[in-house]
Amino acid sequence: MTRLPPHPAKDGKVLDANVHLLDRLVVDRNDEPVSVVSDLELESEDGGRPRIANLVLGSAIVSRFLGGHPPKHHLDRMAWRKVAALDTVVHLRVDRSELDVIWFERWLRRHVIGRIPGGRRDPE
Amino acid sequence: MKKYLAVALGILTAIGGFVDIGDLVTNAVVGARFGLSLAWVVVVGVIGIVLYAYMAGKVVALSGRATFEIIRERLGARAALMNLGASFLMTLLTLTAEIGGIALTLQLLTGIVPLAWIVVATLAVWLVIWLVKFTWMENAAGLLGLTLIVFVVSFFVLGPDWGDTVDQITQQYPHPGEHPLTYWFYVVALFGAAMTPYEVFFFSSGAVEERWGRQDLMLARLNVGIGFPLGGLLSLGIAGSAFLVWSPEKVDVSSLSQVVLPVGEALGTIGLALVLIGVLAATMGAALETALSCGYTLAQYAGWPWGKWHRPAKAPQFHVTIIVCLLIACGVLATGVDPIMVTEFSVVFSAVALPLTYAPILVVANDPEYVGEETNGPVLNALALVYLVIIVVAAVAAIPLMVLTGLGS
Repeated sequence: MTRLPPHPAKDGKVLDANVHLLDRLVVDRNDEPVSVVSDLELESEDGGRPRIANLVLGSAIVSRFLGGHPPKHHLDRMAWRKVAALDTVVHLRVDRSELDVIWFERWLRRHVIGRIPGGRRDPE
Repeated sequence: MKKYLAVALGILTAIGGFVDIGDLVTNAVVGARFGLSLAWVVVVGVIGIVLYAYMAGKVVALSGRATFEIIRERLGARAALMNLGASFLMTLLTLTAEIGGIALTLQLLTGIVPLAWIVVATLAVWLVIWLVKFTWMENAAGLLGLTLIVFVVSFFVLGPDWGDTVDQITQQYPHPGEHPLTYWFYVVALFGAAMTPYEVFFFSSGAVEERWGRQDLMLARLNVGIGFPLGGLLSLGIAGSAFLVWSPEKVDVSSLSQVVLPVGEALGTIGLALVLIGVLAATMGAALETALSCGYTLAQYAGWPWGKWHRPAKAPQFHVTIIVCLLIACGVLATGVDPIMVTEFSVVFSAVALPLTYAPILVVANDPEYVGEETNGPVLNALALVYLVIIVVAAVAAIPLMVLTGLGS
């Protein structure tokens, strides 16, 4: 797990989780969109400074609106160590095809869009 | 030729804002009832949309980020969801109206009842989105839509009394038989139409589709500087020619045939053929713009892959959204509702959608994280702030004016 610089940082960038992480687009290593940061999971060792353990992606936004704690295995989590870089979007080190968060996209591709003639052809 | 086609995005975007089916009729109604005394609103609207579409285009060129992505980033999930709800419904209602508009135009051309054409129009819009490249789509719809310039030609051919025209534009003389609130209802309606949010959604997403980069800042300026003023000119031409033909006869314009008839009177059968081609291209263009905008906004809010540069299978949610929207539009029209009335009701949503769309654009256009050193200058910021105030006032006034005047009747 990558250690974030202690705050206030002497060098590097200070991030505001609310401004720079929440609701930011998450892209894979080819800059293809994966999802949006819906929430963050923090952890702290022995009562020390909290650190980001996971980004929570996708549908977790519902519990941010309505409150409550969805069971953890329902959440689409992304370990913080898979984050490669941050600018206006969150860049991951992984390829989106390895991720479960896009299951609905896969399902629609297989059962709906891929079955309509021309769905797998480039536009001309 | 390619150089001239580079502004097709701006032209197609402007068609959706100034001469879509709702605007075609509204402009003619305003012309017949108020002459050119609301021309100033069109000018104010053109300047507003030029400023904000330029900022949205600049953000794309420098950061690659489309407008609804930055709306969610800046407003947070909740307020952005409110905006998404309002903007999406507004765009979907407009899409419904445009498909109805295509059907009405085909009815004028063929004499066959519009109900049969609704299915044809829906299929045609879907096929273009499904199969045709973005650049082809924007060039064809944008250029053919420019045929509407025959309205401007007709205005000159019909020969207005120039002294009277100048008086109308400058003096705002009272309109006998019109309640002052009705005048202000149309002020807000015309301004709201010029600034409809789906224009910036479509313009910014189109810029991403065309892969704008840092070198395209000039292209952004050209697109907004040519596209929107042209759209404004077309809408003035419609109002002007409607005034010359319908105002002396005290006719209340309410149908598409009354909108196009002044061109027939001025330019004969050829003019009528050209104007019908123009109306067909404009409603088709606006249908494409709104259908795509439904997909763009939802996909950008949710972080799904989107865009016509992908094959449909690579952006499945985006295409499913568009298909569902087209089916809803088709279903609503099948009930026999008047498509032109549908656009009037979309104004209800502008109170939420307009401020929550334009404020984040202004904020991000000043954020070095997105635009580097190209942040707005003080003049652009001052103008944009003034417009933000106008937008809020107009958006808040829209609903009470709509109720008090009974939709301007």
